[in-house]
Amino acid sequence: MKSINLKENQFIQFHQKISFKFDGVKYFGYKGDTIASALLRNNINLVGRSFKYHRPRGIYTCGIEEPNALVQIISEYSEPNTRATIKKIYEGMEIESQNRWPSLENDFGRINNLFSPIFTAGFYYKTFMGPHKKFWKNLYEPLIRRAAGLGKPPKDFKGISNHIHHNVDVTIIGGGLNGLLAAKSFINSNYDVLLIDFEEQLGGIINNSNKISLIDNKEPKVWLKETIQEIEDSKNIKILKNTLVTTYNYINHLVAIEDRFVGSKPIEGKVNSTLHKIRTGHTILCNGHIERFLSFQNNDLPGIMLSSSFEKYMCRYGLAPSKEPVIFSNNSNSNSLVYSLIKAGLKPKAYIDSRSGEGIEPNLFDLIRKNDVPLYTNSQIKGAFGNKKIEKILVEDSSGALNEIKCDCLCLSGGINPDVHLFTQSKGLLDWDEKDLTYKPSKPFQPTITLGSASGQFNFDNLNSDVNEKLKTFKVKKLDVKLELNTNTKYHIEKLWEVSPQKKSLWAKSFIDLQNDVTTKDIRQAITEGFDRIEHLKRYTTNSMGTDQGKISSINALGIVSDLLDKKVNEVGTTIYRPPYAPLSFSAIAGRNCYEFYDPERKSPIHSWHLKNGAIFEDVGQWKRPWYFQINKDESMHDAVQRESKNVRENAGILDGSTLGKIEIKGEDALEFMNLIYTNSFTKMKQGSARYALMLGEDGMVKDDGIICKISDQHFIATTTTGGAATVLGCMEEYAQTEWPNLKVFMNSITEQYATFNISGPKTREIMKKAFPNINFSNEEFPFMTFQFHEFNGIPIRILRASFTGELGYEIYIPSNSAPKIWDNIQSVGKEFGLAPYGTEAMHLLRAEKGYIIVGQDTDGSITPIDLGLSWMIGKSKKDFLGKRSLTRSDTIRKDRKQLVGIIPSNKADKLEEGQHIILDKEIKSPVPMLGHITSCYYSSTLGHDFALAVIKNGHSMIGTKAYASTSSMITTGVDIVKPVFYDEDNKRLVS
Amino acid sequence: MLIINCPYCGPRDQSEFSNGGEAHVKRPDGSKEIGDREWGEYVFIRANPKGLFYERWVHTHGCRKWFNCVRDTSTDEILVTYKLDEKKPNLNDFKSVVKTPSGEPEVGSGNFTVEK
Repeated sequence: MKSINLKENQFIQFHQKISFKFDGVKYFGYKGDTIASALLRNNINLVGRSFKYHRPRGIYTCGIEEPNALVQIISEYSEPNTRATIKKIYEGMEIESQNRWPSLENDFGRINNLFSPIFTAGFYYKTFMGPHKKFWKNLYEPLIRRAAGLGKPPKDFKGISNHIHHNVDVTIIGGGLNGLLAAKSFINSNYDVLLIDFEEQLGGIINNSNKISLIDNKEPKVWLKETIQEIEDSKNIKILKNTLVTTYNYINHLVAIEDRFVGSKPIEGKVNSTLHKIRTGHTILCNGHIERFLSFQNNDLPGIMLSSSFEKYMCRYGLAPSKEPVIFSNNSNSNSLVYSLIKAGLKPKAYIDSRSGEGIEPNLFDLIRKNDVPLYTNSQIKGAFGNKKIEKILVEDSSGALNEIKCDCLCLSGGINPDVHLFTQSKGLLDWDEKDLTYKPSKPFQPTITLGSASGQFNFDNLNSDVNEKLKTFKVKKLDVKLELNTNTKYHIEKLWEVSPQKKSLWAKSFIDLQNDVTTKDIRQAITEGFDRIEHLKRYTTNSMGTDQGKISSINALGIVSDLLDKKVNEVGTTIYRPPYAPLSFSAIAGRNCYEFYDPERKSPIHSWHLKNGAIFEDVGQWKRPWYFQINKDESMHDAVQRESKNVRENAGILDGSTLGKIEIKGEDALEFMNLIYTNSFTKMKQGSARYALMLGEDGMVKDDGIICKISDQHFIATTTTGGAATVLGCMEEYAQTEWPNLKVFMNSITEQYATFNISGPKTREIMKKAFPNINFSNEEFPFMTFQFHEFNGIPIRILRASFTGELGYEIYIPSNSAPKIWDNIQSVGKEFGLAPYGTEAMHLLRAEKGYIIVGQDTDGSITPIDLGLSWMIGKSKKDFLGKRSLTRSDTIRKDRKQLVGIIPSNKADKLEEGQHIILDKEIKSPVPMLGHITSCYYSSTLGHDFALAVIKNGHSMIGTKAYASTSSMITTGVDIVKPVFYDEDNKRLVS
Repeated sequence: MLIINCPYCGPRDQSEFSNGGEAHVKRPDGSKEIGDREWGEYVFIRANPKGLFYERWVHTHGCRKWFNCVRDTSTDEILVTYKLDEKKPNLNDFKSVVKTPSGEPEVGSGNFTVEK
C-alpha cells in the first residue's frame, strides 16, 4: 500500500517533523499524526499479529473502534493495547507491535493458522479436559496464556491520575455537528452545561469527511470556528476536550477520562490523566455512529480499511493511505469517500456495490461515470488474497462472473450503527430498524436525549428541527441552521452481512470479530452445538469480547445469527453493552488513592522514638504499633519477646498504648446509657473507679471490651480495642439515636487527643514515684482499678491503675502534644530500675499467661461472655442491655458450646501452634470429630514451656482431662486441658 | 453511585453514607418477658423485598445522623428520605414508580430486554 500526502490542514503540520521508533526502527511523522497515520505515511500497514491465529493485521479504522492496530507504548511505562488509531505521536516515542515472536514479519505463532481448523469455538473447553485436573492449572493454562493474547502487562505502575467532580444541569457528550448545535442552543442560558469531546478539535463529521458543503451559507470550517468561539465565550458552558465518556451509570452519573498529554510524552510525577465524575440533570448523547465492516474470505488482510476511516485519514491527516483503493459497500455512507477521492485528484480503482442499480444514488452514478471509475453493481467481493497484505480481490458481478482485481487497498462499508453503548449503559431500550438495518435508541430510562446519528437519525434534512424539538424541555432559544451537502441526503442500505467464499476450504476464514479471531464458521458451529441464545453464543465464541467490544462487527454477528435461525434481529436480541466504553486504566480509577494514600497510616505520638529505638512495627488496623524492640540487629523476634516479657515480670516494662480507642461519654443520662451499652452495671460503681467491661451484639456475642472510668454519673471515659474504636463509637451513636433518643447523652472520640502509656512490673511503683513525685502511689491512696487526675509540670494527666499483664501496673493518659516529653522522662527515671519498652507481641504473651482474652483473636463473633467464663461481668439485675435477652436463648445456653480453656502440652517439651485442632483420639481416623481449636499460643520463659488458649466444645467441664492437638502431619500432640490462667491465679501481684 | 438526600445536610454522594438495613424494626422492650422466637426474629430476621423498601442509612462521613428512606431495591432509586421521628410514608404513594430497569422478572434478575 503506497500512501501519499495531500494538503496540509489545521490538524497536521507538514513542516513539523517528528521522529519515533516502531519495533526499533526510526520513522518520521508530522505533528498531529496518530501512530496509525504516521505508520501509513511510512507505508507500514503490518502492525500486529492476531490474538489466536497470529495472522498479519493492519490498520482497519481511524478511531476508537479499532480492533487490530493495538500497540505497546514502550516509552510510556510500557502501556499495552494502546489503539494506534487514536494515540498521537511525539518526538522520541517508542512503540512495539504485539503478540509476535521473534519478529512481526516472521512470527513463530503463525503456525497456529495452519492448525486453525481445530481451533474452533469451544476448542479450549473441549480439548484441555484431562488427564487430571492439575494439567489445566500447571500445563495448559500457562502455555495458552503465553501463546495467545495481546500486549504484555507493564511491570511498573507509574501513571498518576486525579479525580475531578462536576455537578451540572446538562452534559452534552460528543462535540460533533449535533453536539455543537445542542451547545449553541444553550449559549448564555441559565443552565450549567458541560460539552465533552474525545478529540482535541471539536467538529466531528465536519472535520472527518466532505459530506457537508455549506452551513448557513458558509464554508463548514468557517462556521465551525465561529460556533466554537461562541460556545467558548459563553459563561455557562465548559468544554472538556480529549475526554472520553466511558461510563453512564444510574442517576445520570457519568465517568469520563481525560488524557492530559495528547501528543507529548507524559511527565513522570505529573498527573497524566484526569477522571471526571459527573453528576448531571440531563444527558444529551451526540456521540455519533460507527461504521460496520463486512465478512468475506480474508477480510482481515492488511490493506483493508473502513471507508469512512479512509476518508477521515484524508480530511483529518492530509493523507491518502492508497492512491487507488477499491471500494466495497452496501450503503450510501461511502458515497462521500468517492467524492473526496475525486476532489483530491485521486480515483478509486473500482467501486463495488452489493446494491442493485436502482438502489444506488443518481449523483453517485454521475460522479463514477464522469470519472471512468470501473463500477460493479449488484456485486460482491468473494475474497481478498495476498501475502501479509492485500494484493488482489475476487469480485462476483451481477452476471455471476468472477473478476480478479489487483489492488493494494480495499475500503469497506457495511452500514452504520448509532453508537448506542452509552445509551444502553444508562439502561435505555433499543429497537431494531428494519429499513436502516441497525439497533436504534428507543426508550430512555433516565433523563437522556439522543441527537443526530447517535439517535439513529442518519439523514441530514431534519437535523435543525430535530434539535429544536428534542431540546424543547429546556428554556433555550430555537436554532435556525441550514445545511447543504456534497452528496445525497438520504441514507440507504441493502442487507448484506456476509459473502460466502468461492472455494470451500477448512482454512478459508471470514472474520466476524477481528480482535478475538472469531470467524463466521465459529458462529455457525456454536449454533449447531445449541448455543443459539445471543449471550451464550457470545461467550462460547468470544465474539465481541475483545477490548474493542466488537464495535465494528457485533451488529453483523446479530444479522448472521438472525439469518441462520430464521428469526428477526429484534427476536435474537442484543448482548448487553457494559461499561467502560473503552478500556480504562486502573491507575485512572485509583486516582490519588495509591501508594501512601491507599490506606492512611496512623502513628502514635511516640512513633519517632520507636523508630530510633529499634522497633519492628506491626499493622493493627491502620495503626503502626511496635511489635517488639530489637536491642541489636542479631536479636531474633523470639529472643526479643522473651527478653521483654521477662523484664516485665522481673523489673518493669512500658508499652505505648496510644492506639487504644478512647470515647468520652457525657450527659444527664450517661449512666443509664452506659448500663444499656455494656454488660456490666455501673450504678453502684464509685466515682473515680474503673471497671473492665464487655460489649455484646444483640445476638449476645462479645463484640468489644475495654475499661470504663466513671468520673461521675454524667461523665464516663471508655477505652476500646485498637481495631474496634470506630465500630464501638458508631454503635453507641446508633443506639443513642435510633433506640433511646429520649436519653440525654453525647459521645465523642478522643483517641487521637490522648496518648496512653502502660507501665507494669514489680518495680513500677518505684518508677512512678520518681517520675511523678507529687503523687501518692500507695495501695491505700491509689488502689487497683481506680484513677486520678493530676497536673504534672502544667500538663493535665490522668493515671489509671490497671493492668493487662498481671503485674502491678498503671496507665497514664496525656494530651498527645505533651506525650513525648513525659515518655522521655519516664525512660530516664526508669533506667535504674531496669525499665524497658515492650511491644505488642510481649503484651500478648503476658496477657495470655493471665488468661486475658483479646477480642477478635480468642473470640470470633460466636462466643458469649458465658463461653469465656466471664459470667461475673454480666449485670444480671439490669433490666436491659445490648444482647441481654440473647444470653438466655436456647442456643446460647447449650451445654456443648465452644468454651474458653487453657491448653498445655502433656510433654512440656512439645510445641503447640495457633489454629491447631483439638481432638479426642490420639490416632487420626477420619472422620475426626473436632472439639475446637487453639486461638492463642506462646512459649513462656516464665513457665518454661508452650501454653495456649483454645475454644473447645463443652470446654469448661473438660478442664482436668486430656486431649490431642492435630498437626499438619498425621502425628498428634498430647495436651492437658486446664483453666485458662497460667500465672498468679490469685491476682496477688496485680494488687500488690 | 447514588445521590442521597440527607435530611440534615442535603443531597450528598453515596460514598459519605452507610447502609443500616431495614427500617422501622422495633427493638423489643428488654424489661418485658418475651419468647425466643420473638426475640430471634428481631435479631436475625429482616425483609428483603424486590421493590419498595423502608431502609435506614447513616451519614457516616458527614453529620453522623441516622435517618430513614424509601428505596426501590430494583432500581436503587431513593424515593424519599425522612428523619427518624417523622411518620413513615405510605408505600402506596409510590405506585407509579418503575419496577425494574430492563423489565427483569419480579423475582431474580436477568438480561431480558423487553418493555418496562
